[in-house]
Amino acid sequence: MIGRVIPGTRRLDLVVLGCALALSALGILFIDSATTGTRYEGLASRQAIWIAVGLGAMIVALLFDYRMLLKFSFAIYCACLLPLVYLLFFGETIANVRSWIRFGQFQFQPAELSKIATALLVAYLFENEEDARLHASTLLKLSAIVGLPTLLVFLQPDMGLAITFVPLFFVGLLFGGMPARGWVAIFLIVVVVLGAGWFFLKDYQKQRIGTFLNPDSDVLGSGYQVRQSKIAVGSGGFAGKGFRSGTQSQLRFLPVQHTDFILAVIAEEWGFLGVILVLGLFAALFLRAMKLAQTARDRGGVFLVLALTGMMFFSVVINASMMIGLAPTTGIPLPLVSYGGSSIATTFLAIGLILGVEYRRFANA
Amino acid sequence: MLRIREDRQRLMRRIEVSRVAVGAMLSLLAIAYWFVQIARGDYYFSLSENNRIRAVKVTAPRGYVLDRNGAVLVENEPAYTLHLYRREARDLAGSIDFIVNLLGLDREQVASRVERGKRAPEFVPIPIAENLGIEEVAMVEARAIDHPEFAITVSQRRLYKHGGAAAHALGYLSEATPEQIKGSSGVYQVGDWIGQKGIEGAYQRLLAGANGERRVIVDSHGREVAEANRLEATPGQNLFLTIDLKLQKVAEEYFRDRVGAVVAMDPRTGEILALVSSPSYDPNWFTRRVTSSEWTGLIENPDRPLQNRAVQNMYSPGSVFKVFLAYGALAQGLVDPSARVFCTGHAAFYGREFRCHKKGGHGWVDLRRAIQVSCDVYFYNLGRQLGIDRISEIATAFGFGQPTGVDLAFEKSGLVPSEEWARVKRGSRWYPGETISVSIGQGPLLVTGLQVARALAGLIEGGRLPTPHLFYSSQDPRTGEQLRYKTEFREGLAISPEKLAIVKDGMWAVVNEAGGTAFGSRVQGVEMGGKTGTVQVVGRETTIKAGADRSRLQDHAWFAGFGPVSDPTMVVVVFVEHGGHGNLAAAPLAKALFEAKYGIAAPLPPPPSLSTDAGAGATPRIAPAALRRGEPR
Repeated sequence: MIGRVIPGTRRLDLVVLGCALALSALGILFIDSATTGTRYEGLASRQAIWIAVGLGAMIVALLFDYRMLLKFSFAIYCACLLPLVYLLFFGETIANVRSWIRFGQFQFQPAELSKIATALLVAYLFENEEDARLHASTLLKLSAIVGLPTLLVFLQPDMGLAITFVPLFFVGLLFGGMPARGWVAIFLIVVVVLGAGWFFLKDYQKQRIGTFLNPDSDVLGSGYQVRQSKIAVGSGGFAGKGFRSGTQSQLRFLPVQHTDFILAVIAEEWGFLGVILVLGLFAALFLRAMKLAQTARDRGGVFLVLALTGMMFFSVVINASMMIGLAPTTGIPLPLVSYGGSSIATTFLAIGLILGVEYRRFANA
Repeated sequence: MLRIREDRQRLMRRIEVSRVAVGAMLSLLAIAYWFVQIARGDYYFSLSENNRIRAVKVTAPRGYVLDRNGAVLVENEPAYTLHLYRREARDLAGSIDFIVNLLGLDREQVASRVERGKRAPEFVPIPIAENLGIEEVAMVEARAIDHPEFAITVSQRRLYKHGGAAAHALGYLSEATPEQIKGSSGVYQVGDWIGQKGIEGAYQRLLAGANGERRVIVDSHGREVAEANRLEATPGQNLFLTIDLKLQKVAEEYFRDRVGAVVAMDPRTGEILALVSSPSYDPNWFTRRVTSSEWTGLIENPDRPLQNRAVQNMYSPGSVFKVFLAYGALAQGLVDPSARVFCTGHAAFYGREFRCHKKGGHGWVDLRRAIQVSCDVYFYNLGRQLGIDRISEIATAFGFGQPTGVDLAFEKSGLVPSEEWARVKRGSRWYPGETISVSIGQGPLLVTGLQVARALAGLIEGGRLPTPHLFYSSQDPRTGEQLRYKTEFREGLAISPEKLAIVKDGMWAVVNEAGGTAFGSRVQGVEMGGKTGTVQVVGRETTIKAGADRSRLQDHAWFAGFGPVSDPTMVVVVFVEHGGHGNLAAAPLAKALFEAKYGIAAPLPPPPSLSTDAGAGATPRIAPAALRRGEPR
């Protein structure tokens, strides 16, 4: 037994919850700024509805014991992967991608939910792997668990969303106890796969990567977004041009600024201070969540928190790098801030799971 | 147990290291942003100032509106609009001062437009004044260096070629209201001109087409440097109306100094050949932007020029209703057409005296003669025999009490009273005496002019009611592909041809036989049938007003005609407010329309003021006050 069992002391972590709420409030504010006067007007209130849905999902996640969810994680995983298979064959194509399921006027991306399911199964895998060293068999299972949904989403084809599964794999390796030579092997494999994968990429995907490596090659074509977002971010300066006063934002320059490029809008209108605010809130959220992982009562809880946090962290880093041309534009939204119903709702679900691990830290089994 | 503890410590250590790594990674990102935003901030700021890529709307040319023969009713002409670029203005108040003084604009209006424009992002130009003349354009252009915040754009302006002709059928354009923008889910934006009322409103989507977009590189003054790419606009469809301009003009001329409405319609298809509501307004006048005083003048005019009297005003049908009652009673076998009633000029029902319009009485009248001379006593008796609910049934079968389904907004339903209506809606019981009033088209029964036209069409077509419409066909301006209106009908009361012939014969006699109430309006060469109606104006309000305006005490005049009697191609329903007797005030227009349609004579000279081929700006701006009846124009 580790620690003392104090019945009835359940604690809701207000740092994690507070940061998440603050970030999503910022999101509403800047979605409004980015869409006012455009044909997207009104998305801010729609986002608010989705946040409410997400908070509902978060409360539901809190009510369930995560250990129960871990126990059934394989079934959940299968249930979440089924719609992905379905979409691959029968999905409606929206913006060249078959990744949406429609409910009346709302659409949902089931892949978002399968991210959570995959994280659950990864945590379950390591709950029972108590060895300090990562076994080959565990590595194989981990690769299969993460690889399958990644492949399904990649085939939709939504490269951005597919990439967000990858951190689950690395969370497994890192905290599962991968030895040094393992890392070397992984590195080599990644290089080979990337090289070979180049031939399988769609043209527009290649173009994006090419643009990333040389952004000035195609200023009005696929380099357009990178260039425009860099101008938007850079021209924001220290204190920004003021809320709703971004000249580059306001949808005239960035085609998807209320979704993927929301940070560029913040950077332009609130400047470097705004960026620090956003990154600071994320830092507080992640560092706190990892602290919670350390105090979780079992291995499953530790890995669940790490997996979910790892995914979010990865998205933040890639998205923030994208804005200033440090990463290719892959269509990864900024968690909690970008417009996107499925993304915000599932992120709050993830927050709920993280809080749940802390919440049940001392509870009786 | 020990191994697990050991492993947990390792795990904790790894998490601790990872936390440091996460913190470091985010700090690195912050440094990268610092580099872009602060170290290189000035560079990007100048880029944002000097090399902006903007999406510019390419407005789709709005479709033309033509009459059924291809005569252009509405087209587009170039118009010059003055825009204010807020970003370029150093001193906004000074800029407003400058332009108000230069062009003599209404300061209050300019200020309020700037205020409204401030809700949009800063670099979205604010429209300040439309329809500048060439001299004004030159004045602004000459000062462009000192005032780069003002720019002039050329756009297409709607031109209603015949001024106020068919204004109520055509509708007008005006800037989309905030509610319309909200309700359009992103289709309309601030400053978009959209169709309001009439066919401009009803077929807005069709006429407007789809706007395109150009992505252009502009410098800091908003000047276009290069075009990146463009999405072509899809032009709006041209719309052919069922209106016949020739007939329309005859009707317009007739109503020049009268208040009322006329509908001419093809009874076989429901195609509206002419539609006039008077007083009218000039739709051009909205396109040239209404000042608030002009607007007040227009809406405070007691005759309400904006209202379409043919579909929005409800009146008692008066004696015109008798033919529908006669038809209904015949069709249901409730009256013997040869049975005669003796009219002494008055009759008593339920202890009350009801007078016939002819003081001395009509003597013996049968159904045909009752229609011809419009004998009230005959119809009092018929109405009493039928009872209100049967009358209401007949009226409903002729489409009264419900919208006709015409392609115009704000259509009124009218009112068909019944016992149930009295009980439920009015909250009092139905008095038998009211039935007597309703049987000659008075009492609570209310109809619109268009309803009467449709009902008359239904009557002469043996019960089949066509849906009135103005849409004749649409034409794609690029491919020439046409889309025709598919005529719709509603089946009403069926009748045998023999019985129908009696009603039509009675209506023929109204116009063509001595003693008929519209005998004076015989048309040479075309046999016209019809029915007059006169609605007494005895409202208390009117009596009070009488001291000021005697004409307001005059009766309203109706005439509902059709022709040629053997094979009708047109029904004409004329309503003249305070016109006096239907025969004198309303029937002559029907006669004129038939004469015009069949080219018999030119009874009225072509109205000279309707031709505006002189070009942009030449059309006189008519102040709304001048639309008021009685004032000299």
